[in-house]
Amino acid sequence: MEKELIGKVALVTGGTKGIGRAIAERLSQAGAIVVVTARSRPIETQTKHHFIAADLTISSETDKVVNEVNEKFGSIDILVNNMGGSASPSGGFAALTDEHWENDLQLNLQSAVRIDRAILPQMVEKKSGVIIHISSITGTLPVYQSLGGYAVAKAALNNYSKSLSKEFSPKGIRVATVSPGMVQTDTMDAYVQSLADTSGLSIEQVTQNLMDSLGGIPLGRMALPEEIAELVVFLVSPRASYITGVNYIIDGGSNPSL
Amino acid sequence: MEKSNRELSGKIALVTGGTKGIGKAIADKLASNGATVVVTARKPPEEESGHHFIAADLTDGNAITELTGKIIEKYGTLDILINNVGGTASPAGGFQMLSDDDWNRDIELNLLASIRLDKAMVPKMIEKNSGVVIHVSSLNGKIPLYQSNFSYGVMKSALNAYSKTLANEVAKNGVRVNAVSPGMVKTTAMETFLESYAQSINKTVSEASQQLMDSLGGVPMNRLAEPEEIANMVAFLVSDGASYITGANMLVDGGTFPAV
Repeated sequence: MEKELIGKVALVTGGTKGIGRAIAERLSQAGAIVVVTARSRPIETQTKHHFIAADLTISSETDKVVNEVNEKFGSIDILVNNMGGSASPSGGFAALTDEHWENDLQLNLQSAVRIDRAILPQMVEKKSGVIIHISSITGTLPVYQSLGGYAVAKAALNNYSKSLSKEFSPKGIRVATVSPGMVQTDTMDAYVQSLADTSGLSIEQVTQNLMDSLGGIPLGRMALPEEIAELVVFLVSPRASYITGVNYIIDGGSNPSL
Repeated sequence: MEKSNRELSGKIALVTGGTKGIGKAIADKLASNGATVVVTARKPPEEESGHHFIAADLTDGNAITELTGKIIEKYGTLDILINNVGGTASPAGGFQMLSDDDWNRDIELNLLASIRLDKAMVPKMIEKNSGVVIHVSSLNGKIPLYQSNFSYGVMKSALNAYSKTLANEVAKNGVRVNAVSPGMVKTTAMETFLESYAQSINKTVSEASQQLMDSLGGVPMNRLAEPEEIANMVAFLVSDGASYITGANMLVDGGTFPAV
């Protein structure tokens, strides 16, 4: 593997599981010094990355993370805003309370806004840096039965990321969004298992139903976390030096529109 | 690096319009990543490139049949097809300036050439359940400009729709299909254009370049792309690293596209 990121300091939020862990791993293979955050320390302390426990939905925790990275490793070159998700119930519009909306926005939008705000000044000073926002295909392909608040927050994140790129690309900082389709993370596996348990259907049938709910996936399978990580590493590398302000969809063809 | 260790070693790639500009950069990049590269153009390149050159005018259906035959005869297969050929010789000045002939030429070069070549090559990919097709489109396909490139932009939009539709159809056969939409790229042709344009408006080349960038609503990165920067995206998309990417249209435009 080409060591194209040697000497670079990368921060991956939500970097202990799923897509975030795959991104951290791949950045590290490319030679970067990788710092990961999550609310709790990973159970398997396999992580050779530097770990900082932080709840980034809390404002003061953001500064703590940035200060710690700066003290130990210097300024941050690569920021991957990967954390996100939703604990809101399915069942459509009426099932979502104010609190669900607020939680979805905190987790998927405001946490990224805050950490960008904390880190951008050091990138501006160096006139270099790359910021990635991990969004979701639901940000452009809404599904109302579940993930309503999450999808709206991701759409907001897409808009915010584009806006940020317009402001900071002239200053040497690239900002890009990656929108994965369905990804076979541990969380997804557990979700599929629970759906199978409650419905009495097989894992394969539940998986197929989930893919069908997106209107079908032409490639006929979910993504592996590593496939998302490859795109992210491409984007933060010098190979992507003219790429900013984009939202790259990586979904096996799921999005039905042009 | 040993050729056999590179990520495209053993792969056969065809790059149409591969002797100049973006096409040449793509051909060079794929070769340096280990692929065996065939390039086409109407005329042979001025400098020896090391790629297998086949002369072909892709607006001619017979030429495509001949090209396909030569590739299959020599290599037996094709793994990577880069439909890069395109362009326009239509006049500026808007809608009323474009004759039927102008439209027909732009359709041939920017849409039908790709469709015909895909039709000849994609069945070979379906047969072995693997292959990657790239359509080099243009930001113009998403940002229409009527003052110039009117019909070219329309054709690139059509190419985008065609590329997505083909992707939907052949994904189940192991073939990935994607479009790449470059913004303004500093090719030799672009440099020549900028020089003549600068002269015609009595400005410096850098002022002419700025004016052109402004005509797109401004380029946040404030410069044109190098051909190699487009080639890097294409090389990524055809590699195994992009195994979940199909039906996408990847903008490489320094932030020019204004919308979300």
